[in-house]
Amino acid sequence: MSVLRPFKACDMFKFNNINLDIWTETYGIGFYLNYLARWPDLCCVQEAPSGRMMGYVIGKAEGSSTEWHGHVTALTVAPEYRRLSLARKMMNLLEMVSDEIYKGFFVDLYVRCANTVAIEMYEGLGYSVYRRVREYYGSLGIGRGGRDEEDAFDMRKPLSRDPGRRSVRSNGRDMIVSAHDVS
Amino acid sequence: MSSAALERQIRPIYDALDTGSNKSAIVDCNKLLKKHPKNELIKSLKALALVRSQKVEESLVLCDEILAAKPTNDAVLTAMMHVLRGLGRHKDTVTMFEEAYKQQPSNEELGAQTFFANVRAGQWKSAQQVATRMYKQFQEDRYLYWSIMGTVLQAEEASTPPAMRTLLYKLAHRLITSSPTPSYLSADRFYLHLSILRELELFDEAHKLIESEVGGNICSTSLSCNELRREIWRLRGLTKEEGDRAKKLIVEKKDRNWLEFLSVLDTTFISKGESAEHVKETQELFTQIAEQDGQKDRSGLLGLLELERRARENGVSFDSSRLVTLMEQYFDKIGDKACCFEDLKPYLTLEGEELTNWTAFLDAIPSSFTTLNELRRLINSYKMVRYNIPQSDLTIEAETSRIQLYTKKYFEALPIGADLPVTELQPADDLALLAGSAYITVWKLTNEERYLFEAVSLLEYVLTKSKQSFLTRLLLIRIYRLLGAPALALEHYRAMHVKQVQHDTLSHFILSRVSMFSLAPIGDITFATECLETTQIYLSNSQETSDFIVRAFTSEKYSQIPEFIEFEQRLENSLQRDIVKMEHVRMRLGHEPISSDIIDMELIELKFLYDRTHHDNRDFNILVNYQPRISEGLNEQTLLFGKGEGLSWLRAFLRLYIRAFQQGSDLDDMVEEKLLIGDRPKHVVEQPPLKERLRKNASDNAAESAQQLTSDELAFVSFADELANWLEPYHDYARPPPAVVLAEAAKQTVLKTGHPLKGVEIPPQNGTNGSHKKDDEPPVVIEPTEAIVKFFDNAKARYNEVKDNASPIDVLHVAALAQEAFLLFNVETLRFKTASVVKANKLGGLVSSFKAIRINAISVLKEISADLVRRSESEGTSESRKTFVDACTKLITSELDHDFVLNIAKRVSDSRKKVLEGIGKGMGKICSSYSH
Repeated sequence: MSVLRPFKACDMFKFNNINLDIWTETYGIGFYLNYLARWPDLCCVQEAPSGRMMGYVIGKAEGSSTEWHGHVTALTVAPEYRRLSLARKMMNLLEMVSDEIYKGFFVDLYVRCANTVAIEMYEGLGYSVYRRVREYYGSLGIGRGGRDEEDAFDMRKPLSRDPGRRSVRSNGRDMIVSAHDVS
Repeated sequence: MSSAALERQIRPIYDALDTGSNKSAIVDCNKLLKKHPKNELIKSLKALALVRSQKVEESLVLCDEILAAKPTNDAVLTAMMHVLRGLGRHKDTVTMFEEAYKQQPSNEELGAQTFFANVRAGQWKSAQQVATRMYKQFQEDRYLYWSIMGTVLQAEEASTPPAMRTLLYKLAHRLITSSPTPSYLSADRFYLHLSILRELELFDEAHKLIESEVGGNICSTSLSCNELRREIWRLRGLTKEEGDRAKKLIVEKKDRNWLEFLSVLDTTFISKGESAEHVKETQELFTQIAEQDGQKDRSGLLGLLELERRARENGVSFDSSRLVTLMEQYFDKIGDKACCFEDLKPYLTLEGEELTNWTAFLDAIPSSFTTLNELRRLINSYKMVRYNIPQSDLTIEAETSRIQLYTKKYFEALPIGADLPVTELQPADDLALLAGSAYITVWKLTNEERYLFEAVSLLEYVLTKSKQSFLTRLLLIRIYRLLGAPALALEHYRAMHVKQVQHDTLSHFILSRVSMFSLAPIGDITFATECLETTQIYLSNSQETSDFIVRAFTSEKYSQIPEFIEFEQRLENSLQRDIVKMEHVRMRLGHEPISSDIIDMELIELKFLYDRTHHDNRDFNILVNYQPRISEGLNEQTLLFGKGEGLSWLRAFLRLYIRAFQQGSDLDDMVEEKLLIGDRPKHVVEQPPLKERLRKNASDNAAESAQQLTSDELAFVSFADELANWLEPYHDYARPPPAVVLAEAAKQTVLKTGHPLKGVEIPPQNGTNGSHKKDDEPPVVIEPTEAIVKFFDNAKARYNEVKDNASPIDVLHVAALAQEAFLLFNVETLRFKTASVVKANKLGGLVSSFKAIRINAISVLKEISADLVRRSESEGTSESRKTFVDACTKLITSELDHDFVLNIAKRVSDSRKKVLEGIGKGMGKICSSYSH
């Protein structure tokens, strides 16, 4: 049970319980305002009845011709609200808007190859790996997680405009591109 | 030379500007200007490079020259836009574009730029007028919508009278209905339309729009429009319809948005007579949802709880045990989620038998665990039991035994998260935070700092296991400050990597009353630097946010524009921003020699802050609060001296410093008006001059001041008041007349730039060397009041009173304020240090009474300084470490061992030593800098 509502500029004053978590980046105010000034309908917040923010998603629409799609730029849930399917609800909204308003062919997102929990969750939501992007998260050198720490999976889920599922492929994990090749 | 060739030569100037090589840009411009002395673009680029190299006066000359020529060239306008922004002259930007657009009325781009310039300056009325003109000329719908949005924003301005507001909304309504294309073509136009109808209460019209097929579709895909729709239905009294709609969504679409559940709950209680019947229906619905969803979603279960709570409120609950039964049911299903405690919090306020039953239920939760879920249940039960602890059970003994329990469980729980990656939070953390909370309670009850020693030892240990636990860090920051170990607090604060907008919401943790820890007098400006770093965000806000408001116009996202404006305003007028500014001024005076330059500069900055409508964006909720409901919250308990700064605190300090600076400065309002560059802040209502208000407002809201200021701060404030009242007539008499000040400023400008000061006419004056004859006699010198004379003796007495307190913060506080009072005294008397001023104004008598005050102040400060240094010697010793370690014996185990605690003892004691010694020596230094 949570309130699903639009992300508003003043939410930046309230998102500390989410953003102080190490995996969530706090960007300059221009980052949030830019998304809100262009794709406000792809940005939403989950809020507890107490008014405390639980998580948010920030997305955009981009690409040309059959690559026109919704993109998940940031999806995050505060530590104390994990395991409540909040991410699923926010993704549902983003997919619905990408489909019905933007008429995109698919929705995509990037995830660290090492983040198996997230990958499994996205797979559960119907996403599959389209390609592996080398050093997407910057070159960290070969650390504990090896390449999986710095490489990203580009995961996609086709929308109703792509009934033939042309925007996905089954051997995506083997398709390797460098970070320069993706926007 | 061909224009292409010139263009080629100008390119490097742009490159230099882009890379920040302003010097070389200026050199290049000068070279080119020799050949093309009239070229506006080169001139404007030079003006830009000058602004960016802080050569404001020189830039101004060029700037005015270019503006006078009324440029229309795109590149010139763009460059000038940046120049004027750098100078804070937004109004001039508007005028520049308006002039250009007037010359080329068919230039659409110029029209748009003129509109944007108005948007950036927040001038909604003229923005709307420009948009209207553009719509007529270019016949594009979007310009019509711009003018509508401009009209709405004009209505929303605080200065718009209510009648005008309605008129403007009516105008907006007329405009939007006149649109050749319907608003529903875009969700954001539709949003704007609905918001106008809501404001005018044209609910039928709104309803028709919403009920149309397109309207319905928009509301089902746009959260913002749906939010508005919900509000309109509510205002219209369509609770039942809304409830039915929500029910449908919940059942058919499996919508689990809590707002839908609230709508169903609202309908349940609309008709008083039938509530009981409806409660039953809703109960059935929610029960069904709860069963369907199981643990997947909490909405059904929580809906049932909220239903019962409201049924009780409405007197239609007939089963007195139902609430607790539902809570138990909720706990059974959701107890293993971290948020269970927060979910149930609104229902936890129980009494009597209910409380007994509930507590019995919680007590029966197994206290042993082998899985994460069992652990979470236990933690949730602890939090809920703690929430309802009665006053009688909030004793030292009871809390001590709770600390033991929480700590024991904490160590037992650690293995459960042992395999988690270091980036994860440990599930056991909450147990330590519970212990930390209980330590704070015991410390409050006993005032013995040994409990804080134990708390920091435990919490520091927690961080070795759970490196990312920001909640633990926040509590540690608070405790370290209470212990007078600011360096350790800062270390933890920095480890949280607070950045961007978080500086505004979180910096209070480290910067609240930070001047009392400042070692600036001995050259350590760590905290002053920290203040400056936080202010970056306000600069980005003033430079960037308006660009995004413009962007929202270009992309026609009307729903966002009022939000962006609110965001910009809240950050611009942030309470924390000005509290930090105040702290910085307090530290600066201890660091830099007090001079008329500092006085003038700070005066101008502070003056503008006084009339702001402040917004409090500080985040206090981020700190955990697991304290019993009958107790003070953890936030209040851990504030320094139990007092948080608010508006009254800020105004008290602003007021006293503005007054002192006004007296010490030669810049009276008239001079400032002539010399100051850039726009003044907008004023909503005309007010009497600041100087008068400052004198009168001595006791505005005394009760609130007493809540926010400590008794020592209050004493300082009244000392400042007395001092200012005493010296005001002498300052006013001795201050050189505006003409003299302006003449001096003009002389300096010519020396610096080679150009005369623009727009300032210097009236002729008598005498050539700046001295002037006065017609009236100097005010009679009177003796300072008792409050002034006795202030430093009282400070000494206060110091002796708190001298033996265990934590050094009391002595630091008293010492810092005594020092601040002395510095303020130096600000107030600076003018009379110049012998010629004293002589010319016949104020010798006044100066001799300064002497007595100064001698006494210095002797008091020296005494305090010596005592602080002496006290610092007892810190950082093996004995001080032993006291610390001895306090923690109960905590020491094989995991959290003696060496670990000893290390923390060392750090705490060293940090205290540093601050005591530093403040002590700093005071000594100040005494010798201002010895006469």
